[in-house]
Amino acid sequence: MTATTVGPADGSGSGDTAAPAARPSAVTAKDLARSGAVRRRKSARLKIWIGSVGVALVVLPVALAGVLPIPGPDEQSLSLRRLPPLTGGHLFGTDQLGRDLLSRVLHGGQVSLTVGVLAIVVSGIIGLIAGAAAGFFGGWVDTVVSRLLEAQLSLPLLLMLLLVVALFGPSIPVITFVIAFAQWPEVARLTRSLVLVEREKPYVAAARVLGLHRITTLLRHVLPNVVKQASLVILLLLAQAVLLESALSYLGAGPQRPFATWGRIIADGQDYITTSWWLVTLPGLVIVLLVVGVNLLGDGLRDRARRRKGPQTEGKVSRA
Amino acid sequence: MVRYVAQRVGQSILAIFLTVSTVFVLVRLAPGDPAAAYASPLATTAELDRIRAQFGLDKPLIQQYGIFVQDLFHGNLGTSFSFQAPALDVVLSRMPYTIMLAVSAILFAAVVAIPAGVWMARHADTARELGANVAMIAGQSMPEFWSGIMLLTIFAVLVPVLPASGFTSWAGLVLPTVTVGILQIALISRLVRREMGAGFAAPYLTIARARGISERGLTWRYALGNSAVPLVTALGTRFAAMLNGVVVVEVVFAWPGVGSLVVRALETRDYPLIQATVLVTAILTVLVQLLIDLTYPLLDPRVRLGKAVAS
Repeated sequence: MTATTVGPADGSGSGDTAAPAARPSAVTAKDLARSGAVRRRKSARLKIWIGSVGVALVVLPVALAGVLPIPGPDEQSLSLRRLPPLTGGHLFGTDQLGRDLLSRVLHGGQVSLTVGVLAIVVSGIIGLIAGAAAGFFGGWVDTVVSRLLEAQLSLPLLLMLLLVVALFGPSIPVITFVIAFAQWPEVARLTRSLVLVEREKPYVAAARVLGLHRITTLLRHVLPNVVKQASLVILLLLAQAVLLESALSYLGAGPQRPFATWGRIIADGQDYITTSWWLVTLPGLVIVLLVVGVNLLGDGLRDRARRRKGPQTEGKVSRA
Repeated sequence: MVRYVAQRVGQSILAIFLTVSTVFVLVRLAPGDPAAAYASPLATTAELDRIRAQFGLDKPLIQQYGIFVQDLFHGNLGTSFSFQAPALDVVLSRMPYTIMLAVSAILFAAVVAIPAGVWMARHADTARELGANVAMIAGQSMPEFWSGIMLLTIFAVLVPVLPASGFTSWAGLVLPTVTVGILQIALISRLVRREMGAGFAAPYLTIARARGISERGLTWRYALGNSAVPLVTALGTRFAAMLNGVVVVEVVFAWPGVGSLVVRALETRDYPLIQATVLVTAILTVLVQLLIDLTYPLLDPRVRLGKAVAS
């Protein structure tokens, strides 16, 4: 990774990089700045920054929706129907019943985000346990988990989710469970592969020699070593969870009426698309901003983790 | 090889059977009475009983399941409550539209995503690649129903050049294809970029370059050729997912496919129709995945020679 100097090396150099001014080198600071490694680091940092800003722009107002000086999400005034954005103190305009669109989007966001976060917590826990058990114990546990993961691949997933929601009612627990069900394989697969590597490391053998129970070894020694890497996928799953929840509510299988979820605000607004563009466009842009932000953040963090991991693993762990 | 195929076929049959049984159980577990949904709101108890008897809903669950499995092997999936026609026929009549949309979307995605991914790999770690990468992430982050409505508004309402909904001419295929394609392009191009990045760093490429192979040959034949297995897997998996996953886009564009059918079937609690839909799509998904697995020997000589392939 370090740039080797091929320029006028005068042989007197001690190999010390601390004094760049005294030694002329063909590799200028500009070349270094242009190198792939630096670029990667820069782009990872840029992704993290833009991602954080995008997420904050959506999450903060959503979290503060109750205290912001905006009308309530259900306050109707039929004389102020479908006002375009920026009129009469309505930043996002009003909808077909004269309700403030911004307020609806923010309050709806609370539901969407809660469902998303709950779903990834549930799928994260299930996936972590199943994946870790499969990777660590092997044998029949691994067979069962792996077959389940395979079977889910050939399941018509969205149809099943819609079916479950239609059958058991679109309450928040059902929707959370349904999204978690769609997502646990991702976590399980990753955890399993990480644990498979981890299990062969000397400290696991050492723990065994010390007479630790296998479950204790897994919980106290192996899991803490994989949790950080496995958790990087969580942000990407959150993005998917938000999209899935909005798709379900668009199809009418989301949390029901008193809650204005993003998907349903758009579904309601699409009847007015020819006359009131903002009813669909603005809520959609909010979703896109949040999901792009979360995806960029997750991507950037993963790039950074990969870079940090690279030299370390080469130095410390002998790779069989 | 024969054993491998037999094993895969066995797995596939098991997967289909599990799916169907799950659906059967779920439908019966759920609250809500299909007879009530089927009958008029003012139906008497006697009428409801008659409807239950007509559809076999008054029998014990185990017996219902036995009848269900028996019928399954005869290709008889019951009569759709709402269409008053064999459920299988209703689903099969809609299937071509969904397959048409999925095929056109996957072709569109492949044609755009592969060159885009190759381009990103060639320009790895440049500002241009970062830009393309961010654009792809944006494509991946758009809810399909929203991008669908946006495209529809622009190209069918503001600048009416394309039909807004349904399938009356081939032009009607354009907007749904693009809508489904956006997400697929984002996912596939980033996969191609990752695989190609690994390919460009591999020693065989250095050797090939030393032998004087042109850069174009290196890119398309060597690096992309070695990415073929993961690429075909991804395209196939995405295609299989689309066969049952274009529900949202079908609803947005009133596309006469299986997706819009199933949304309607769920609203009317049309059990036989739901079961038939899930069964047909599950079989198709499994078949597509089986086909992908069977293409590996063509794509990778290591598989042909009976060596394990790492993927």
